[in-house]
Amino acid sequence: MNKMKQLFFVFGIAVSLVACTKEDTGGSNTVVETITVKDLPADTIIGITPGAPPTGGFPFGAGRYTFYSLETNKIIPASDSASNKWDLAFRGTTIATNSGNSGPGAGGAFVFVGLFNDLKTIPADSTFRIDNAPTAYAIPVGSNRAWYVYDGINQLLNPIPGRVLVIRTATGKFAKVEILNYYKGGVTPTATASETIKLRTQRFYTFRFSYQPNGTKTF
Amino acid sequence: MYKWILLLFSPSFITTSFAQEKDTLSGNAAITVFTATKTERALSNIAVPVQIISQKTIQQAGSLRLSDILAEQTGLFMTTGFGTGVSMQGLNPDYTLILIDGEPLIGRTSGVLDLKRITVGNIKQIEIVRGPSSSLYGSEAMAGVINIITDKPRKNSLGVSSRYGSFNTADFNIKGSVRTNRINYQGFGNYYRTDGFSIRPNSRERSIAPIERFTQQHNIGYRLSDRTQLSLNIRHNIETIKNNITVINNGNSINSVGVEKNKDLNATLQLTHKINERFKNTTRLYGTQFNSTQELISDNGVPYLDAFKQQFARIDNQTDISFNEKLELNIGGGYIHETANSTRYDNSASIKTNRIGYAFLQSEWKASNKLTFIGGARYDHNELFAAAFSPKLALQYKINNRFSLKASIGRGFKAPDFRQLYLNFTNTAAGSYSVFGTVEAQKIINELNRLGQISSLEPSFYQLSNLQPEFSTGFNLGISFQNEQWQITTNLFRNNIENLIDSRLVAFKTGGAQIFSYLNVKNAFTQGIETDVKFRYNQYWSFSAGYQFLLTGDQSEINAINDGKVFTRDQNGFSRRLSRSEYVGLPNRSKHMANLKVQYDHQSYFANARAVYRSKWATLDTDGNGIYNTNDAFAQGFLQLNMATGKSFNNGLSIQTGIDNLLNYTDVINLPTLPGRIFYLTLSYNILNKNPK
Repeated sequence: MNKMKQLFFVFGIAVSLVACTKEDTGGSNTVVETITVKDLPADTIIGITPGAPPTGGFPFGAGRYTFYSLETNKIIPASDSASNKWDLAFRGTTIATNSGNSGPGAGGAFVFVGLFNDLKTIPADSTFRIDNAPTAYAIPVGSNRAWYVYDGINQLLNPIPGRVLVIRTATGKFAKVEILNYYKGGVTPTATASETIKLRTQRFYTFRFSYQPNGTKTF
Repeated sequence: MYKWILLLFSPSFITTSFAQEKDTLSGNAAITVFTATKTERALSNIAVPVQIISQKTIQQAGSLRLSDILAEQTGLFMTTGFGTGVSMQGLNPDYTLILIDGEPLIGRTSGVLDLKRITVGNIKQIEIVRGPSSSLYGSEAMAGVINIITDKPRKNSLGVSSRYGSFNTADFNIKGSVRTNRINYQGFGNYYRTDGFSIRPNSRERSIAPIERFTQQHNIGYRLSDRTQLSLNIRHNIETIKNNITVINNGNSINSVGVEKNKDLNATLQLTHKINERFKNTTRLYGTQFNSTQELISDNGVPYLDAFKQQFARIDNQTDISFNEKLELNIGGGYIHETANSTRYDNSASIKTNRIGYAFLQSEWKASNKLTFIGGARYDHNELFAAAFSPKLALQYKINNRFSLKASIGRGFKAPDFRQLYLNFTNTAAGSYSVFGTVEAQKIINELNRLGQISSLEPSFYQLSNLQPEFSTGFNLGISFQNEQWQITTNLFRNNIENLIDSRLVAFKTGGAQIFSYLNVKNAFTQGIETDVKFRYNQYWSFSAGYQFLLTGDQSEINAINDGKVFTRDQNGFSRRLSRSEYVGLPNRSKHMANLKVQYDHQSYFANARAVYRSKWATLDTDGNGIYNTNDAFAQGFLQLNMATGKSFNNGLSIQTGIDNLLNYTDVINLPTLPGRIFYLTLSYNILNKNPK
């Protein structure tokens, strides 16, 4: 039994109270909603591990994923982690898809370079990657690899503009996601903000997405 | 006895006098420049952009360290981080060669030579040559050359000066010279100390740490014959910095106390022989050593030692041949042996070596009374990396006795430094990232990979290869005007820089730690216009103003923007395409820089006010697109105002007082080394010369 699946059974309830806004993309016959999700917690920092570096002293959360369904636009309880009910799972900078060894679903993802609104149809020859945790995720983890760049000097994380996460959901439908911000309230702290503020406000995702329920690759 | 001393040191030279020394306007023809052509030349006959800062200017500005006076010059700005470096024509401090009496200073940290290590107390003049000058000087002379010419008075002298100012900053100088028929000696000593300061309230770490510096320089010349002169020059500099450093590691602060010691030793032995009026031969033996140690003891008692030692030895021979009044040839060559060892390399005991052989040739041809051509080239053969060939061509055309035109094109290079080749550094205090020099990188990463400690190799890893020198091609086109009252110079410049070395992420360790190494990956350009205007209103009042307009960038970034491949965010946080007009080019560059100086001069009295302005500059890529644009973080533009006044008395005493940063401008984040307003008082006494006329 792999690690990820164990996690799904062990971990408890994900956080609720996620604000959402909806907007119309104003398309013609296939109108797909674009929804903005604000402050989705992703294993937020709850303290510092005991001891001093290099063994202790690191900021840590509970190590829990927040499971999210793009279809229902809701957080899914972790008790349902071994199901097709969720499409994306967030923990720190890691975004898992319901695919491979992360979950039982038919999910997958790849990173599209360009504008969210310009991605009207997923090209037919696109290859969706699947998760092979913990070494390789469909959405690669790491600075300047997929959707974010980490400023090590100021210890701030910025989503890279012009990166769209193209998602195949657990049930094989398609969605596109743009990560907008990684900090609470959708505002990145200033470079000069205190360490405490940077730690406490991070791991809150603001993102927008479009989910195409009819199974086509067109938004 | 006293009388004997007086005889020996016959009255003459004054160390820190405010005596009239004509360094502007009509006095120009008398000023000679060495740096531009490696031979003594009248300033008015130089075909490349050259600026001279005189001893009087330095003294009247109340400068203590080299960076103080350079900061007031057109187009130069001081950088912070790894010491105070100078940026010229928009290039990084790495690319300006710093010389003392024609010999290079070593001991750069991350490419920056800390200009605060250099006192200005014994400087006769500073010569600034803009544009690539590798055709004469080899590596590092990409943006230009700053050569400090130390004082060699023609008569006996002895003088002292002392200054005290804000932050318990004290500076003491003693300077003397002895001249006999055959022997001349110049001695100089400087002691500098400061408590430092912190402009960050509640910070344990000081922006400028308490520092003590001691510099001494001795020069002995011996005239073997009318044609042969031997000289020995020795300079020694010790710097002690008391550091309190706080490193924040994942929310925990680790406090450390430590001592940093930097020692410079430079020695030059020079033999000049004039075979006849047409042939002159100069042989120079130069050796220098830079030794830096940093000891830190942190709260948790773990001692940390960082040591770096660099040595540079060179033998150089130059022959100047003047065929006739129209044609002169300078030909030379030499050999450099350079070593370094550091705790940040694989093994601090293993000494890294580079050997360079070089030859250069320069010819000056006065085609007519109006037109002069200079052509030259230098070839540097390196043991460790590819050779560099650096040609240069310049011309001066005197349109009439007021207008003169200068044009030059030249190539500059900078050899990869030891750090870029051999660094083997893992920062356990901050995320355990590693930086390996290119010589080490493939070796180490392959070994780690074999041991299963590498989780992924990035595309850059496969591009790792032997580093090439960085190259620049510089174009300068200038025009100058001069009459009894006005002196105006304007210079257009463009530098194309290729093969820039930058660090790149090459691999991830299994724990997620990043590994960086160096690659020749970037190109850049800088272009702009620099203008200086001097106006002498009457015998008392004079004004000067300078302005530089600067544009910088990377053509590949501009192409990516034009192709619509670069994005930023709108006010909703949604991505949008970046437009060309939002591109700002290289970070830390101000588009506009200006200075203004008003000077009042009387026989024994002077006063001046100097303003220096820098427009805003980009500091951080906050929108995450990797390109500096108007959506990123900027430091505010600012104006610094400095004033000084002084009087000299007939008994040899001089007094000077000044205020720097009168407007009390500070920027905690972007200008951490700029203190608020500071005051100082200087007293000078010329022991041997009571009447500075």
